[in-house]
Amino acid sequence: MELVLKGFGEVVKTVTFRVRRYDPEKKEMPKYMEYKVPVQRGMTVLDGVLYIKEHLDPSLAARYSCRMGICGSCAMIINGKERLACQTQILELNKDLIKVDPLGNYDTVKDLVPDLNKLFKNHESVKPYIVREEAEPYGEYIQLPEEREKYALFTECIMCGACLSACPTMATDDLYLGPQALAQAYRYIADSRDAGFNERLNLLDSKHGVWRCHFAGACSEVCPKGVDPALAIQLLRGVLSKNVFIKYKQNPAKLGPERASIKEVL
Amino acid sequence: MAIENKKGWISWFNPIKYGFDRWLFAMHRFTGIVIGLYLMAHVFETSNILRGPLTWNNVMVFLDWPFGIHFGPYILSALLLVVVFHALNGLRLTIVENGLMLVRPYRPEYPYKPKSLAGWNFALKIVLGILMIVISVFGIVYIFTGVIL
Repeated sequence: MELVLKGFGEVVKTVTFRVRRYDPEKKEMPKYMEYKVPVQRGMTVLDGVLYIKEHLDPSLAARYSCRMGICGSCAMIINGKERLACQTQILELNKDLIKVDPLGNYDTVKDLVPDLNKLFKNHESVKPYIVREEAEPYGEYIQLPEEREKYALFTECIMCGACLSACPTMATDDLYLGPQALAQAYRYIADSRDAGFNERLNLLDSKHGVWRCHFAGACSEVCPKGVDPALAIQLLRGVLSKNVFIKYKQNPAKLGPERASIKEVL
Repeated sequence: MAIENKKGWISWFNPIKYGFDRWLFAMHRFTGIVIGLYLMAHVFETSNILRGPLTWNNVMVFLDWPFGIHFGPYILSALLLVVVFHALNGLRLTIVENGLMLVRPYRPEYPYKPKSLAGWNFALKIVLGILMIVISVFGIVYIFTGVIL
């Protein structure tokens, strides 16, 4: 028996893509170009962009990798809101005109490709790793499931950069760390294994650190993974403002038994 | 010649595609700027008393009846709304921005509605919103009729 998928491959309607084109090497101002794209059921905005690249204009540049919302390469401003292009259904947008922009508040490499250097640099500057006093651990760090729940939400970040584009503070302040970096800073400070609060304090407790956030909630609103960076920033601020009166003490988790001894048992 | 794709200050006042909190942010910015400008104008206005009682009275009458229209109470009412919004929203921000009245970290679930903007934070918005309406009604009635309810 032949399996027939109803409506599969059928062109439902034609939408217009209005794409921002900009090539820094050509010394031209950014401009918008329109493309007519036939839409099938289940087609995402990324599929539409790739259709344009394959059939209409091969010079269009876009960054993508996994096409399933894991890699975080294809974040774009679609109809005025930051979304992952691979997870936005064209038919769900329910518009005949789809406006596609590269992420704001970044340099543009070409067309829809933003230069995410700022994001990665800020992320690196908050020491996104567990800081310990001992030089080399000899065993596992012991952590309870309840202790993991304190930061588990913020580990979901895929570094797509949508939050920095949506942030209204980022729009005017170049040196601001951004929601992504601050959320990751809280993720490591709240980690029971970490002992690096004082090392990160100078950077976070500065003019362009946590106090620059105004809780507009736009970062949480656009986050494709529901990480809620705004919550992390407010909790981090709670830690810092309590630190003024009572010094915040981290109790780094104890090390488990030595690996060598475990080997002997096994 | 790399043009940075910056959104700029104009994007503060463009909350259309985002949530309720983004609207509050835009309004808080706007009302803050209005109050700042008002304070400067207020200092200038009250400084007129140095020029003698007659000038002072003329200024007062002009501000109440600018260009022959009885418009003063409307300006005062708008100012009251602006100040009450900024004060009450500022109160809420002082609480939540110190990490109080927020949810504990949770597990994200589709469709990923941020819970930091809901819960107690949202309840605070409702309570302060009602308070804002009540204060505004009392104030505007007082401005227009001189009656304290």
